[in-house]
Amino acid sequence: MAPFIHLHTASAYSLRYGTAFPDALAGRAAEHGMDMLALTDRDGLYGAIKHVQACHDRGIAPIVGVDLVLRDGHAVHGVDSGVHGAERGKRAGSAGHGEPPRVVVLARSDGWAALCRLVTAAHQVGERGEPYVTPELVAEHAVSTGGGPRLTVLLGPRSDVGRAVAERRDDRARALLDAWRSAVPDVVVEVTDLYGYRDANTATRMLGLARSMGVPAVLTNEVRHLHAADHQVGDVLDAARRLVPLHPRHVEHPTAHAYLKDGREMARVAVRICGGDLDLAERLLAQTRRVAERCALDPVEIVPLLDAEDPRLHLPEIGEDPVPLLRSRCEDGLNRRGLDRTADARHRLAAELAIIEKKRLSGYFITVADITELIRSMGVRCAIRGSGAGSLVNYLIGIGDVNPLEHGLLMERFLSEGRRGLPDIDIDVESARRLDCYRAILGRYGEAGVACVSMMETYRARSAIRDVGAVMGLPPHEIDVIAKAFPHVRARQIRAALSDLPELRDSGLNDRSLQTVFRLAERLDGLPRHIALHPCGVLIGNSSLRDHTPVERSMLDFPMSQFDKDDVEAAGLLKLDVLGVRMQSAMACSLREIERVDGRKIDLDAVPRDDRDTYDLIGVGRTLGCFQIESPGQRELVAKLEPRTMHDLIVDISLFRPGPVNSDMVTPYLEARHGFREPDYPHERLREPLRETHGVVVFHEQVLRVIDVMTGCGLSEAEKARRALGTPEGREAVRAWFVPLARENGFASDVVERAWRVLDAFGGFGFCKAHAAAFALPTYQSAWLKRHHAAAFFAGVLTHEPGMYPGRVILDEARQCGVDILPLDVNHSGGTWQVERTTGTGARGHAGIGRGYGLRVPFSAVKGVSDAEVGRMVAGRPYTSLADFWERARPSRPVAERIVAVGGLDALHGLRPGEPRWRPGELTRRDLIAQVGALDRASGAGTAGQLPMGFAERVAPGELPEMSEAEAVEAELEILGMDVSRHVITFHDELLDAIGVTRSRDLLRLRNGAEILVAGAKVATQTPAVRSGQRVIFTTLDDSTGPIDLTFFESVQAHTAATVFGSWLLVARGVVRRTGGRAVSLRALHCWNLLDLDRLWRDHGIDAVRAVLSETPAPPDAAGAGVGGRPIEYGNGYRLSPYSDIGPASGVREGPFLRHPEEPQRRLWHASSGSSGPAPSAR
Amino acid sequence: MSRLYGDPIEVWIRDGQPVQFVWRDRLYAIREVQDHWVVAREWWKTSDSDPGERRFWRVVAATGRESGTYELRFDTAGGDWLLLRAWD
Repeated sequence: MAPFIHLHTASAYSLRYGTAFPDALAGRAAEHGMDMLALTDRDGLYGAIKHVQACHDRGIAPIVGVDLVLRDGHAVHGVDSGVHGAERGKRAGSAGHGEPPRVVVLARSDGWAALCRLVTAAHQVGERGEPYVTPELVAEHAVSTGGGPRLTVLLGPRSDVGRAVAERRDDRARALLDAWRSAVPDVVVEVTDLYGYRDANTATRMLGLARSMGVPAVLTNEVRHLHAADHQVGDVLDAARRLVPLHPRHVEHPTAHAYLKDGREMARVAVRICGGDLDLAERLLAQTRRVAERCALDPVEIVPLLDAEDPRLHLPEIGEDPVPLLRSRCEDGLNRRGLDRTADARHRLAAELAIIEKKRLSGYFITVADITELIRSMGVRCAIRGSGAGSLVNYLIGIGDVNPLEHGLLMERFLSEGRRGLPDIDIDVESARRLDCYRAILGRYGEAGVACVSMMETYRARSAIRDVGAVMGLPPHEIDVIAKAFPHVRARQIRAALSDLPELRDSGLNDRSLQTVFRLAERLDGLPRHIALHPCGVLIGNSSLRDHTPVERSMLDFPMSQFDKDDVEAAGLLKLDVLGVRMQSAMACSLREIERVDGRKIDLDAVPRDDRDTYDLIGVGRTLGCFQIESPGQRELVAKLEPRTMHDLIVDISLFRPGPVNSDMVTPYLEARHGFREPDYPHERLREPLRETHGVVVFHEQVLRVIDVMTGCGLSEAEKARRALGTPEGREAVRAWFVPLARENGFASDVVERAWRVLDAFGGFGFCKAHAAAFALPTYQSAWLKRHHAAAFFAGVLTHEPGMYPGRVILDEARQCGVDILPLDVNHSGGTWQVERTTGTGARGHAGIGRGYGLRVPFSAVKGVSDAEVGRMVAGRPYTSLADFWERARPSRPVAERIVAVGGLDALHGLRPGEPRWRPGELTRRDLIAQVGALDRASGAGTAGQLPMGFAERVAPGELPEMSEAEAVEAELEILGMDVSRHVITFHDELLDAIGVTRSRDLLRLRNGAEILVAGAKVATQTPAVRSGQRVIFTTLDDSTGPIDLTFFESVQAHTAATVFGSWLLVARGVVRRTGGRAVSLRALHCWNLLDLDRLWRDHGIDAVRAVLSETPAPPDAAGAGVGGRPIEYGNGYRLSPYSDIGPASGVREGPFLRHPEEPQRRLWHASSGSSGPAPSAR
Repeated sequence: MSRLYGDPIEVWIRDGQPVQFVWRDRLYAIREVQDHWVVAREWWKTSDSDPGERRFWRVVAATGRESGTYELRFDTAGGDWLLLRAWD
């Protein structure tokens, strides 16, 4: 007998419903000997492309459908006096417990476009995230213009028909089925038996109904799991989806039978439904196959990239033949860029155009060029990034501004004969204007032809614990504490993290009662949770776009494809990445401030790129706030490398990646650069490609050249080989090809061996030079702004927060650069950070590069203030009194109180926090806060505007004490998130001096190996990838004289990790490591919470503090030492801690769930959850 | 009208189906399986990672010449059978 075919299968892309991924389902179907498989996810085609690919890989035919909510069923008169099926179903509550009815719609073999359009329409009519169809909507899409059927509708137990049958209302069921049949040509009845109560009975009667009306019937299993045992996960998802605790009433499948059964099991189900009638059962199975056969899709039609030779792409229409158009634009570009007489350029252009035209991509380049022009015409800063910078065509037609010939960038890295798939052009725009750019693109090309790319947010440790905790009925605050205790790890690492990480081991989370929560949370690992707008992808198609992808609306109402970036490419759709870069916004903001304050208009792109002062600033590591080079590791690297040119910056950015660090390129490069050692070239002929980096391979482009020189294979082939270096098998294959070929080319064995070792170590790592070149420009520009217009630079950085550091760190850096920090003032503050000219009073600071300017705290920095309030406050300036401010700016009471508390009215009312606290007859901040209350009560009484404010309630000046300086700074931290009037550490100076703490500015004078105490406010913690495979914690403290970088190795983490992650003000003991001429860091031995020491000092005196500081930590027992977890090992021996590059847990310290009471609640330090570079497998 | 019992019984199985059972010292031969369904246990209420499921059969069975309808339940975790109710 021919194999059974599953026609109703939900994958994990049925959000919070399915539990198996398309690939696993297709794999299981193939194991069962099935030759076709349908994927019918709920509410969308999110998994369709992956399903088609998976089926194709396994040689089975894909079928695609969708499982949609049905609303406003047929009004069947005379049977039910007008009650709609949906409402009826809700009340009856059978087969779905209050869930709305659903139908499954399959695409017939020529129905993919109709299915895409139906899904789009279902999302269009529904609320966001709640698509539905009506019978009319299905009918509209079910036939082609010629009248042939395009879609097959499956009416199962969850449909209106099925529900009527279950409720034993046979006449109604008959009428509904009849209505469906007359609306849609291809309707079938779907029978299912999951062994639930009455399942078989309903199925038998549905079968009877179908037969009596001559409607075909099919058997399905409503598959949502791979294994029967997955039903527990399904139950959790059912409850999580509905935001209810687990209860038999809330789960959709009370049995464990909704898994991908094999043909024999399904045959048993068929016999059961047919009451033992084997003939009838056989006919049911045969009918199921017939329906499947007419729905089998051609995979290549849906996923053109499966045809590697000649993929049929869906290109934008540009109204004329794109080939001559691109040619003439390039020709114009040659003239405009002054390259028309350069033979090199002409040669390169011809080669690029040949490939572009062969791949029929001319139209794509024209479209992208038009878009970048559109963006620039809006006055938005726009730069090319990534490998696209390597293409001369991109340079000539104005997509990018980097001349690839000047930097030796290769096109093959971007686009080559051998490269499968489509080229990726990435554009950086100002982050604050990114959505404007999207709107402009939509406006230009129309909604029908453009859509944003989506991405699936998946369950990770924290989200999984939150959802499982909720369905298991834990109290919300407890769930919150537990979830936050975990670093940003994968859900499946939860229990491993509990035993591996010292800060979690002793946290009290290992309690037995939480075991079930953790066990279930781990099983949610990686399941899609919700769909979101991809941060940069924009699809640019033609008027048929919506035949190829379903589109829904994003949160911000952009049309969004249901496909992710990989699917989009596989589907043959072209995308452009328009990435919002905050630094571009920050720099645009700085330039506006310079123009506003100094009246100077600066063209940043025209600034000379060899400014000595700028490189001096970089060379001493004074790069906080700058693009790409502000992290502790980069500050150390730039101080060692001392860049002098753009090229040096390109190298610097490329070196600071896992690849180069891993294959130890940094040390040899630095030694050769500074002349400590001769550059080493494996062969004279490799001198040319490797000279720019002193014999060290840093760039992808160099790998290509080395392979090309030694094998003579051409750059396209070399690029193919480079891509293969990413995997161990690939490396073996490349070696087997490379070594003999290089020998044939006349290279000696030892030379080939040495060259191979370099390539082998390089692996798939390294950096595309084009990418680094594109990054180096904004890096230099940001450093230039910092050096020459420090105050304006910081205003931009504080307003747009482009970097890793929180505002208070940037503000302190500004203070150290000599910029005056000006407090909030209702008569001077603006909507964003602004520069003011000052007399350059107190600030002496580093080189005084910011002297003579001040930075004014803006209204928008106040916690809880709304945009509308900020607008009114700015518009209403100047104010004459608090009452006037209250009256005209109309702030909410808490906001008004906060503004007073941080001194926003000090200037107006002549206030001054500090001693003495009691000032009879003199107004204080606290008096004013009391007055805000009085004003609020007065306006609440409805008398505002009628009585003069003064009469409302009188607050006598001096009635309340003034705030102390410490209280004022505390208020600033709480309300503004930064210490404006004084550095917070200065309050502890007395204690710190008593215990003999070394300040940051004095670190450079210390000898290597000295053991010292340091203190400061935590600025950042990072756990990046390092060579040894340890989890190393890098922490930066700031003590008002500069940054202090500390490294905590695993050997000390048992007694320090909880403190490092859990405290804000830290005292640490460490050993000085001189890492370069101007670079010092500390290897930490121990650390303490400064606030704990402070309390100890006040209560028990300095000796008690000294005793704590001098105690040696107990040597950790063998089992409890350091960080556990097996390092991840890469093919070339590179080891990585499973917890590297993961943000630390924020909430854990001192036993279960306790947060330090004095710890500020706002984000005051950086905790990386980001990455220090691309994953090793990428590109 | 049915009556509830909940008595432990002994059941003979063939091809996954019950064929006869002993209840209160009398042997019942199953003539017909009218219905069969499964209910998964509320696993989240136990510490057991898989508490199994309960399988129900509604059967027509006869002892001697007396025939009636009975509901049997099998608990996969404990491996025990109960006679839940009877219509006789």
